[in-house]
Amino acid sequence: MVRTIAAKDLTTMFRDGRLPWAGGVVLALVVTAVTVGWQRQREIASERAAAQALDYDDWVAQPERHPHNAAHQGMHVFKPDPPLAIVDPGIDPYVGSTIWLRAHRQSELMFMPAQDATGLQRFGELSAAWVLQVLGPLLIIVLGFDAFAAERELGTLRQTLSLGISSKQILWGKALGQFWGLGLLLGPAAAGAAIVVVAGRGEAIDVDAAARLGWLGLGYAIYLAIAVFAVLTVSALGRSSRVALVTLLGLWIGTTLLAPRVASDLSRTWKPSPSRLTFNADLGAEMGRMQEQAWMANFGVATQWSPDLPLDKWGVALQVDDHAGYSVMDRHFARLWDTFGEQQRVQEWLGLAAPVLAVRAFSMAISGTDFAHYRTFSLAAERHRRVLQDLMSEDLVERADPRGTGHFDYRAGADLWRRMPPFTYAPPPVSWALRNSGRSLAVLIAGLLLSMAAAHVAVGARRTV
Amino acid sequence: MLEAKHLSKHFGATAALDDVNLRVDPGEIYCLLGANGAGKTTLINVFLNFLDPTEGEARINGLDVTQHAIETKRHVAYIPEQVMLYGVLSGLENLRYFAALATGRHAPRAHLLVLLSDVGLDEAAALRRVSTYSKGMRQKVGIAIAMAKRTRALLLDEPTSGLDPKAANEFSQLLRRAKDDGVAVLTTTHDLFHAKQTGTRIGIMKRGRIVADLSSEALSHTDLEALYLQHMQG
Repeated sequence: MVRTIAAKDLTTMFRDGRLPWAGGVVLALVVTAVTVGWQRQREIASERAAAQALDYDDWVAQPERHPHNAAHQGMHVFKPDPPLAIVDPGIDPYVGSTIWLRAHRQSELMFMPAQDATGLQRFGELSAAWVLQVLGPLLIIVLGFDAFAAERELGTLRQTLSLGISSKQILWGKALGQFWGLGLLLGPAAAGAAIVVVAGRGEAIDVDAAARLGWLGLGYAIYLAIAVFAVLTVSALGRSSRVALVTLLGLWIGTTLLAPRVASDLSRTWKPSPSRLTFNADLGAEMGRMQEQAWMANFGVATQWSPDLPLDKWGVALQVDDHAGYSVMDRHFARLWDTFGEQQRVQEWLGLAAPVLAVRAFSMAISGTDFAHYRTFSLAAERHRRVLQDLMSEDLVERADPRGTGHFDYRAGADLWRRMPPFTYAPPPVSWALRNSGRSLAVLIAGLLLSMAAAHVAVGARRTV
Repeated sequence: MLEAKHLSKHFGATAALDDVNLRVDPGEIYCLLGANGAGKTTLINVFLNFLDPTEGEARINGLDVTQHAIETKRHVAYIPEQVMLYGVLSGLENLRYFAALATGRHAPRAHLLVLLSDVGLDEAAALRRVSTYSKGMRQKVGIAIAMAKRTRALLLDEPTSGLDPKAANEFSQLLRRAKDDGVAVLTTTHDLFHAKQTGTRIGIMKRGRIVADLSSEALSHTDLEALYLQHMQG
């Protein structure tokens, strides 16, 4: 019964032109977005690899100089573009991909607008994720707004029910018909994306990317299923197909376009994060206090870089000064990033009312383009910065401090530069991303159960005459 | 087969059905006459569980329709005054769809074409989209759907409305064949001639009540007309 109803619905969607036309537009956008994303990724991957190699070559090739000057020159590290960024670039376009590792201060990949980028802010960015998140529900509305309402108006629903078919069977048949229609459209696109993501880099098959793609497909399937049942609910309750359409368009605007903005503002209100100015001021003030305490404890002076500090302690002082700041930076950045995480959690919970919030978080997380992935990259970059900084300072302690007043005459060369390893970064595996996405996935599943329950109640509540 | 016991349906203060008692046994065609708003369609809707009765009960094959909503509908076929079909599908596709829902299996194309032919739709017409059909052609597809269901009871709500005289006559013959096969038929109509010609029993309904329950054989056309007008004017 259910399959018969689904097949009939699919046929009518084809013949009245909705599936080929509306679906074709969405499919064309998805294919275009994936193709453009793939092209962009190929360019970015080669550019970043070349830039990373060039930067390290510059580091190794730098002339003989005082190691602390070299630490100030530092080096740049580039975040590798994850394979699924072609589907969901996430916050990549907003936070950039490069961190400058330099002496004394942790560089920032933060305070960028994309951390709370909303659907509206990202409206201009065409990505497959955006098309699915924003236009996917709109397509489902076009395909399904009249599923029950028009059949009730025409009398075909009455005809069907008179045959001894339950309203639940009709509901599932109509839902299945929608899934088939979406599958026909998105299945080939997903298969194409899978080939590009898993094997498109010309390397061995990327198992992690394949697993991520599978989970991403599941997340979007749940999201679109929520939309299917929500549309069927409204169609079943609507007095007419016109009322159902207007109601659904209103809901779409509210939950898909406006909700992200509102959720972003709410999350910042409930879990306020400091401004960049405040953060830097607080960080600088506490670092100053800790460093002064360290200077007092180690050198008996209250002022950093006091003229009273003998030059044969300059290298040691750098170590003391930097190490005194490490824990402060760790604490401040962790607190800031935790606040971003709390804001994210608020938005994910709000996904119960506007599922786009949950699927957006899930999509970025599984694609490896969310803030959590940036955090791991930033932490890896910071660890590398400290290696560089400590290596330079240790060399000063060993070779420059013994020179006493001749400390600043010391010059290190390529032997030291080569001791600094190139930056390597392995993104977290899919299991890590999944652990981080448990909440958004749970919210999506809860949303699906709620929308299914609502649809069941709606078709049960509304009689045909 | 079809039974109403003290059946009432109220919409607010208005009684659409008022203590209706009715029984249609296998091999009977019960024609329910009445003016618009007499409660004929409401009675059909209650039998189909599209409406819940306020009081009393409606039974199909011994089962209460409110307690066995799905099962009782499987024992009857229903033809409304205006058979509504999917315009983008052909007559054959509509029949295939509704017949599959009704029987739980997909009938062979040849069998479906025979059914359509039996009700007066040739293959060329059957393959055309229903959006091009006249009301009578739609009605014929509805009859074919009912025939495909092969039930022991028929609920017909003004089924010949829109049919040309020839088609209406063919439909009457179909009903009589069904009666001979032991099918119980409850049909509403405004058409006294059709009622007399087809029915084995005739009921006259007024303001939700069956005010007359007559044997067709005992009445002439003239008697029926006079009786009907008497009740309508009274």
